[in-house]
Amino acid sequence: MNNKKSNFPADDAPSYESVLQCMRCGFCLPTCPTFALTGRERSSPRGRVALARAVHEGRLDFTEALKDESFFCLDCRACATACPSGVKAGEVMEICRGQARSAFPGGHLSATLRRFVLERMLPDPARLEGSMLPARLYQRLGIQWLVRHSHLLKLGPDWLEKAEGMLPKLEMPLRPRLPELTPARGRKRGRVAFFLGCVMSLLYPEVSRQTVRVLAHQGFDVITPRATRCCGAPHLAEGDRQTARRLARHNLELFLAEEVDAIVTDCAGCGAILKEYDELLAETVPAGRRETFRARVRDISEFLAEAGLRTDGLGEVRASVTYHEPCHLCHAQGISKQPRELLRAIPGVELREMNESSWCCGSAATWGLKFTDASRQILKRKLDNVRATGADYLVTANPGCQLQLAWGVKQAGLPQQVRHLMELLGRATPE
Amino acid sequence: MISQTAVTALSEKLGRKNVLSEKEDLLTLGYDATPGLSALPDIAVYPTRLEELLFALQVARDEGLAVVPRGSGTGLSGGSVPHKGGMVLCLGRMNRILEIDEANLTATVEPGVITLDLFDAVMAKGLFYPPDPGSQKVSTLGGNVMENAGGLRGLKYGVTRDYVMALQCVLPDGSVIDTGGKNVKDVAGYAFKDLLVGSEGTLGVISQITVRLIPPPRSKKTLLAYFDTMPKAGEAVTRIIAARIIPSTLEIMDRTTMICVEEHAGIGLPLEMAALLLIEVDGHPAAVEEEATAVRTVLQQAGAAEIKLAADADEAASLAAARRTALSALARKSPTTILEDATVPRSKLADTFAEIERLAEKYRLVVGTFGHAGDGNLHPTVLCDERDRGEMERTHAFYEELYEKVLAWGGTVSGEHGIGLAKKAFLARQIGPAGIAVMRRIKNSFDPRGMLNPGKIIMEE
Repeated sequence: MNNKKSNFPADDAPSYESVLQCMRCGFCLPTCPTFALTGRERSSPRGRVALARAVHEGRLDFTEALKDESFFCLDCRACATACPSGVKAGEVMEICRGQARSAFPGGHLSATLRRFVLERMLPDPARLEGSMLPARLYQRLGIQWLVRHSHLLKLGPDWLEKAEGMLPKLEMPLRPRLPELTPARGRKRGRVAFFLGCVMSLLYPEVSRQTVRVLAHQGFDVITPRATRCCGAPHLAEGDRQTARRLARHNLELFLAEEVDAIVTDCAGCGAILKEYDELLAETVPAGRRETFRARVRDISEFLAEAGLRTDGLGEVRASVTYHEPCHLCHAQGISKQPRELLRAIPGVELREMNESSWCCGSAATWGLKFTDASRQILKRKLDNVRATGADYLVTANPGCQLQLAWGVKQAGLPQQVRHLMELLGRATPE
Repeated sequence: MISQTAVTALSEKLGRKNVLSEKEDLLTLGYDATPGLSALPDIAVYPTRLEELLFALQVARDEGLAVVPRGSGTGLSGGSVPHKGGMVLCLGRMNRILEIDEANLTATVEPGVITLDLFDAVMAKGLFYPPDPGSQKVSTLGGNVMENAGGLRGLKYGVTRDYVMALQCVLPDGSVIDTGGKNVKDVAGYAFKDLLVGSEGTLGVISQITVRLIPPPRSKKTLLAYFDTMPKAGEAVTRIIAARIIPSTLEIMDRTTMICVEEHAGIGLPLEMAALLLIEVDGHPAAVEEEATAVRTVLQQAGAAEIKLAADADEAASLAAARRTALSALARKSPTTILEDATVPRSKLADTFAEIERLAEKYRLVVGTFGHAGDGNLHPTVLCDERDRGEMERTHAFYEELYEKVLAWGGTVSGEHGIGLAKKAFLARQIGPAGIAVMRRIKNSFDPRGMLNPGKIIMEE
């Protein structure tokens, strides 16, 4: 195996060490939602790593089937949590997506569209905000109502109907409205930078508005650099590692320029990627700067749990709540206890655990749109567990999950209201 | 090679999604959890009921294909590696729990049922299925039966064989035999059932399994003891057994294993210690109380540096769960982990630990040792790199010399993982030419054409 001949088509391939690490014990199998769907070994973490290893050892070409597997992986990282050997099958597949882009550039139209979105739209917040305007007008003018009720969408592809159905009621994007400095209230405890995610700003501006308000109320000066760009997660998910690195570098330098105790985000997806800048930028940014940045990044629930939540003056939220763990929070960041602690700390809240709270909801960035049927099956399993709790609220901490769950709850006619953890905490926090 | 007609026939009968012939599928069905072993089968099929299983075997016969049965592929001796190609017979989709018979205290299942799923299902009815291989969340009952899997409760409750009451088995010629039944006592004829358990898919394909259930223990206590040397911990185990106490679980981990497990599970193990014993006693509350006290006394006398009682069921469960990850956790440290399944009479435990330490030093190897100390069943694991030829040779020499000692002490080359491909030479040494010859005759009488899992267990002539 010393004279292995790698069949990976481009640079930036998964390292040989990372695939050799898998000893194939199979502990990942029961944790993998796609394996649960298909029962097919190659759609399991162990199988996927074995395929990457075979490519590395020249026993397999980088085939279309491997490309498909790399995109079929939800990248939920449940396998990494379960893996005693420390194999990161999700990451290996994420890197394989980049390889897939080289091996199979795809049709001209979709490639151009994808590049336009990834390279032009997402990196540019102003352009992104502008592009949401038609969607907002569409909602305001009542066209949405018309479209939703006329079954027009039934004529289009599945994903379009779902995407349309998922859109929450849109407000003005938060980014231009959020002050660059929100001063602490009461006894000051520190100064933090808030990393505002794109989806948060565009689709859930109210959530992040609450997050900043809560932070200030908890005694922190909050600065929100307006020049923040997309964290790069969508690019990694689509295999565009180059643009992801460019964005990562920009954000890292931007936030390191601030004198803050922590860089806080309320988007689990952004938080996970920010914490992975360390590896992503290993070759382009000096270790010291990467470490300083990494040491500051916190998910909001992690940050508040560490700082200690000040509960004096919190109002009561009389409700039973169940909590869905976003993959990028519990698996990618290992944050599981903290959101529950916060929920329990809100006066009046009764936390009801659901079964399989850390099982993926099937959203996974654009996965839920690409694999609509599979996504629906994963979501159904989640909703069955939600239903069994009989809770008033379904709380989560990531916009992707929130979109998917809100849509699912509506489709299934469940009574639960879907909320971000910070919306609940925001409600308990006096204006 | 398999003909296109045969592939088509299989697809028609079993459904397209149950017949896989793409290279990507075949590559991922040619391994189990044994390091260094993998192969490429010609085709993989997933029967979902007996009729389809029989059809697949018929096709294999017609095509002259080897047939390698497979559960979840968690085996540790290469039992399901199709090293001669042919058909991989995946039984994971025959996974129904057919019956839980509360009057007779039995459960009947298809071979693809996951071990823990059966455990949970019978537990919900207030019953207990004791065998609990480390891989219980993943492994299938069929695989457990074929490898005669052990587990953490083996000391008090025994291994899979002790719970198998009946098997339905498909022979290579297509005949179906039912052996055993729900009778507690049954001495009618040859004990086919006992021969089939642990036969590693070389004699027949199991299509249905009936297991014995027992009432669950009413209470349980979990103790942890730390030692500053491994032989001391081994001595403590010997003394517990000699004191006529049979805990349900008596597990050991050395420091290397503790470090890896701690890195994965983060349960706060004291890494300055050289060895840990995890001990569970279960049964009637009064007996448990008394035995726990007695164990504590023996541990103290044996020189334990620290003894701890698990605070509650959750802590006990997390300790056992952490122990189950030992092997996989060791794989964090090196690209390749080669584990063994050496088992010795329990009076020889301390000697075995000393021998492992001596040999590790002699061959300059990093060895993590853990296992079911109460059974005398140890898993010394060499942490190495398969790309380093010299290290692999030293690893080989390490096991050669270790097994020489183990056999001289009356031990066995496999306590629970089976022989498969990995340990054929060692088995030949353990049972001798006459033993191998009888095994070969048995194999021939079940499978004269050598179609089922060829080349496993028995060295070829």
